[in-house]
Amino acid sequence: MTAAQAGANQQVLAGASPAGPPGPGTSGGAARTSRLGSSNLAFRVLRQRETGIVVVGVILFVVFSILSNGTFDSLENWGGITSTAAELGIVTIGVALLMICGEFDLSVGANFSFAALVMATMVQDHYPAIAALVVALAIGAGIGLVNGLVTVLLDIPSFITTLGAFFVWTGVTLIVTGGETVTILPPTPGLLNVLGGVLAGQVRSELLWWLGLALVVGVVLQRTVMGNWFFAVGGKRLAAVEAGVPVMRTRVLAFVICGVFAAFAGAVQLGHLDSMSASFGTTYQLEAIAASVVGGCALMGGRGSMLGAAVGTLILAMLGSGLILSGVSPYWYEAVVGVILVAAVAMHTRVGRLVSGAGA
Amino acid sequence: MSAEAGPAPKTEGTPGSPGSAGPWFEARGVAKHFGGVVALDGIDITFYPGQIVGLIGDNGSGKSTFVKIASGVYQPTRGSIAIGGKDVRFRNAADARQAGIETVHQDLGLVDSMSIVRNFFLGAEVRKGPFLDLRRMRRETNKMLEEIGLGNLRDLGQDVSRLSGGERQAISIGRAVAFEKRMLILDEPTSALSIAETEKVFEFMRRARQRGLAVVCVMHNLAQVRDVADRFVVFWHGRKVVDVANEGQSEQELAGYIIKGKLSELGIDESALDTGALRVLAQE
Repeated sequence: MTAAQAGANQQVLAGASPAGPPGPGTSGGAARTSRLGSSNLAFRVLRQRETGIVVVGVILFVVFSILSNGTFDSLENWGGITSTAAELGIVTIGVALLMICGEFDLSVGANFSFAALVMATMVQDHYPAIAALVVALAIGAGIGLVNGLVTVLLDIPSFITTLGAFFVWTGVTLIVTGGETVTILPPTPGLLNVLGGVLAGQVRSELLWWLGLALVVGVVLQRTVMGNWFFAVGGKRLAAVEAGVPVMRTRVLAFVICGVFAAFAGAVQLGHLDSMSASFGTTYQLEAIAASVVGGCALMGGRGSMLGAAVGTLILAMLGSGLILSGVSPYWYEAVVGVILVAAVAMHTRVGRLVSGAGA
Repeated sequence: MSAEAGPAPKTEGTPGSPGSAGPWFEARGVAKHFGGVVALDGIDITFYPGQIVGLIGDNGSGKSTFVKIASGVYQPTRGSIAIGGKDVRFRNAADARQAGIETVHQDLGLVDSMSIVRNFFLGAEVRKGPFLDLRRMRRETNKMLEEIGLGNLRDLGQDVSRLSGGERQAISIGRAVAFEKRMLILDEPTSALSIAETEKVFEFMRRARQRGLAVVCVMHNLAQVRDVADRFVVFWHGRKVVDVANEGQSEQELAGYIIKGKLSELGIDESALDTGALRVLAQE
């Protein structure tokens, strides 16, 4: 199916490449693109933004396994790592989706704590656990909705809107709880164990929630109209407007989804720990953004994936555990995360320049 | 956005001519204010099937604002738009596309970080159940690209950011042509193209005219617009100042139209100036 076969009078724009001479099929641009267009599996794998970060994850795993004399890669340790990763990971799903849409949410940590604290208090007061969960998710959606509406309608950068929301909801949480930790005394409702608890051996339910939700959101992003719009709005908002995408609605929806996931992660951690405090979620916004960026989400939107966000989250969780088990002071965690973050972005940028394109 | 929204098979339309049928698109007193700035100050304009209108004017004359209103991106502050004699209100670009207006915007309207296929169908995605019908979208895109002579872009999954300027322009125009129904608006479609490539874009416009579409083309280059337009409309400071048929006017006469607009705006009687002076002004 070369251009030459398409008929001479249909060659209207065949040579529309300023680089090459106007002619059918032989311009420099065409040759370049068809070479890149190899459907070769190895190439397809290599050009994915996630490939590099998966390799980094594997290297970290091997290094920590050696340094820790076999304690890092033990099944028990991985029960802990996956539990940590799952709670951060569920927050990261929403944060990554929102970043793909070109926005930030710095209020997810406050949202997480506030929603989970309300849920904990309700359970403590003997409301049905399911009702408490619904209220928590509604709080998350409400916080996300306000973030979205303020950002879109007042045309304020979401960085600022959600920084404000972070302070507001942290403040509200402290006022309501007085800074106390709320602990649910046994017998704890079964729902809390479904949200966060041991299923079998070292397999915990929070891990399944995380992977399941990441998979669902991944499919939505890659295979639905809504997902297509998130990428378009984050990639180039004006082009999305011009194509007739309901940009405002799409942006607000992304904030709501992000808020719901933050609240759900809070509920999951409540299920895991049976207690909640205003301080539990405080670092999540930065960690979730770091995990998303390490996993290949573009800071200005338009690029990213659930696989990348999940691997980024796992790398952060592996660092937390691996440093301790390797005999390094846990105080190094933040410093190492910082280095990995910058290195990952440098890598994504370089690889992005060499080969871009994440498949249709 | 439904399955029917894919590129429709193009039927041979009868080349309409102004006068034989009423205008397809009609703007009445359309104005657009941005705060205190008046970008468009009450424009009356009609577009007919089978006619290419060259929209010219200086920077800031309101051409692009008008294009954005006609394509639903902006909503007019005042005035109304009628399609086929019926008043319509475009709330967004989707409404305008629904009504049959496809637009190639100045920025090409492409999302660099998305694939060719996804760009092609952005805002008009083909679905199969709840999911995107990527296979069908890929097939349709391939067909269209072949038709416009870009069939050699074998990897439709590659990002648009990888394409050259001309290829990007071709994708953008190709997309508008693929979905074209009744009216095609092109905002500076040839700004990044060589003379040969520009001629190809003109060929597209002529074919669209032959199929009975109303074609509107915003242009800077007077020599180029002279070659392709059936009618000239000149904007000046948000007003329509000239609306005449193309009767082989020279480039300088066209430039004179722009100047005339300028003079009438300033309240200067143009007859006070001789052609020589007009010509000098036109050269500037």
